[in-house]
Amino acid sequence: MGVCVAQSGLARKEQVSGWLFVMPALVLLGIFMIYPILWSLWMSFQVGRGMSFSFGGFANIIRLTQDPVFLRALTNTLVFLAIQVPIMLVLALLFASALNDSKLWGRSFFRTAIFLPCVTSLVAYSVIFKSMFAGDGIINQVLLGLHIVSEPIAWLADPFWAKFVVVSAITWRWTGYNMIFYLAAMQNIDRSIYEAARIDGVPTWARFWYITVPMLKPVILFTAVISTIGTLQLFDEPNLLTQGGPSDSTLTLSMYIYNLSFRFMPSFGYAATVSYVIVVLVAILSYIQFLVARDRRA
Amino acid sequence: MTRMSTGLKRSLAVAMASVSMFSVTAASAAEILVWCWDPNFNGATMEEAFSRYQAEHPDDTIRVEIFDKAAMEQKLQTQLASGTTEGLPDIVLIEDYRAQKYLLSFPGAFEPLTDQIDYSAFAPYKVEVATVDGQTYSMPFDSGVTGLFYRADKLEEAGYTAADLENITWDELIAIGQDVMEKTGETLLPIDPNASDLFRIMMQSAGTWYFDADGNVTIADNPVFHEVLSTYQRILAGGISKPVSGWTEYTGSFTSGDTLATPTGVWMTATIKANPDQSGQWGVAPVPRMGDVESSVNASNLGGSSWYVLSSAPQKDLAIDFLKSVWGSDVDFYQEILVNQGALGTYMPAREGEAFQASDEFFGGQPVWQNFSNWLAEIPAVNYGIFTEEADSAVVAQIPAITSGGNIDEIVAAIDAQVRQQTQ
Repeated sequence: MGVCVAQSGLARKEQVSGWLFVMPALVLLGIFMIYPILWSLWMSFQVGRGMSFSFGGFANIIRLTQDPVFLRALTNTLVFLAIQVPIMLVLALLFASALNDSKLWGRSFFRTAIFLPCVTSLVAYSVIFKSMFAGDGIINQVLLGLHIVSEPIAWLADPFWAKFVVVSAITWRWTGYNMIFYLAAMQNIDRSIYEAARIDGVPTWARFWYITVPMLKPVILFTAVISTIGTLQLFDEPNLLTQGGPSDSTLTLSMYIYNLSFRFMPSFGYAATVSYVIVVLVAILSYIQFLVARDRRA
Repeated sequence: MTRMSTGLKRSLAVAMASVSMFSVTAASAAEILVWCWDPNFNGATMEEAFSRYQAEHPDDTIRVEIFDKAAMEQKLQTQLASGTTEGLPDIVLIEDYRAQKYLLSFPGAFEPLTDQIDYSAFAPYKVEVATVDGQTYSMPFDSGVTGLFYRADKLEEAGYTAADLENITWDELIAIGQDVMEKTGETLLPIDPNASDLFRIMMQSAGTWYFDADGNVTIADNPVFHEVLSTYQRILAGGISKPVSGWTEYTGSFTSGDTLATPTGVWMTATIKANPDQSGQWGVAPVPRMGDVESSVNASNLGGSSWYVLSSAPQKDLAIDFLKSVWGSDVDFYQEILVNQGALGTYMPAREGEAFQASDEFFGGQPVWQNFSNWLAEIPAVNYGIFTEEADSAVVAQIPAITSGGNIDEIVAAIDAQVRQQTQ
């Protein structure tokens, strides 16, 4: 009996000291993360312009359904998501698989070259992309020189091509980042599995599809979720390259929130509502991805 | 007791006196911080103004910070919304279209200057734009009176003189542009498909706007707006324009000779004059009007801004004194900035000065300043309201539909619906 009391006393002391260690981080997290999240939830029920708010109930949610600009932004964001993320992840996987070969000449050069875009300055590369895709920029000059087109394409002034430029910019930037994850995970796959497969006569593509990909499943899930979240919150590239694109064709949800708060007559309550739409989308898509990737028990 | 030589004592005394004088002057030297967006234009006029002020205040300095216009407006709005005043400037330049938005969204952020400045000496429409509840907050700066800037030498090759461009309609301009294209192969206008400049010019030339004086939306039931969109559609269909993306590409287009003309505000003079080797090759004609609209005249406004003092300004009194003594009374200063930067001030007494009557070599000896001054008097006054950005955004969103020849009635209805939704 005495031993139990002593043990529970010790356990309680350890618990208390454990909590004390964690407390400063929790407090900071609470103030700078939890509190703003709750505050913005409350804000999303407020209506009013500038700094004058009043409670509006579900007025903002109703406004969402009638807002053509919101629908445009939502469509654009989902289009970017559906097109850019799969292309980028597949490319990253292919690059990683190619660069995993220990006998490939110039491996470290290629790895560095593909990863380098993620560490470049965002503004610097956007300015360069803008000048590359300008009316008289280098891309048009190359296309005209090779006679692929007969007159210069207005990349940034055309609604379709502007989306193409944004997707290329994002893919160029983030493929290397995902490739590194896959490379690291591939190092952990036992070589003997591949050897056994080669001996059994399994072709290269089948080795890739039936061995590499299933073994990378957790990492693929991780990069898919991260990329989804990043693309749903996309702001930097469309803002710097096209300022929302010719006629809102590259306007994303985050850009719309920015416009609502800092460009138009400010409606902070409505902006908070739109940001919660992003939260809901992220939650739904992440849940679906986890569901798809879970281990099925027989 | 130590004895110091007299010479040493004297030099020590002088040294101490100069150090104390130095610290006193250093303590009273103040720096005014100004935010604006065009180094050739408004930035240059502010520097010129301060060099005049410095004659009587040698210890004070000015720091003019240049930003991209949209970035500066958003930065200002963000900082005012956050409530922190650190890093805010003493004087900020705000475009007239947006003035009411800032004044109404952030009461108390700007310093009222009603008692400090004699507003009867300024153009009434500029004073009105900066007035809320009887208090005026600005030092009125320039008017954005528009003109059609064109490359006189190139149009002459195609056989067009200044007289051919006098008081024309947009349809006549389209015909001229097509003729020039046939004869010389050059494109007339650079048009940014993300910009609403042309719409604003056309609307104000007819005395109408997205909103009426009470702030009600006047789009769907406004026949003039309908005509504005049709005219824009005809301009784009006429094949006389080339698309440009962004400000740099736009200004680069006509300054490099890639395109031949642009209808824009008088403030573009500074950008055009930044290429001195093109002197004598440019001309300015009255901005075209809409032929089918009775109320449309050959005069309009694009832009125009004023200087505002922030309530939180660290050098508030110095800033106000500076604005009063140079911007509020120096007639000679206005002549200077007119000729050098094309800044058509709205200080009425300055209009009597000689620069306003003179002709300009750069524009082939045309009396451009007199012309602009005359057009200024003809600009129909409109109330911009507080939702100009939202309305612009709604119009720009429909530009692809307009360009591809869509039905104007449907487009007008879509714009009207979006503006009503955004301004609720």
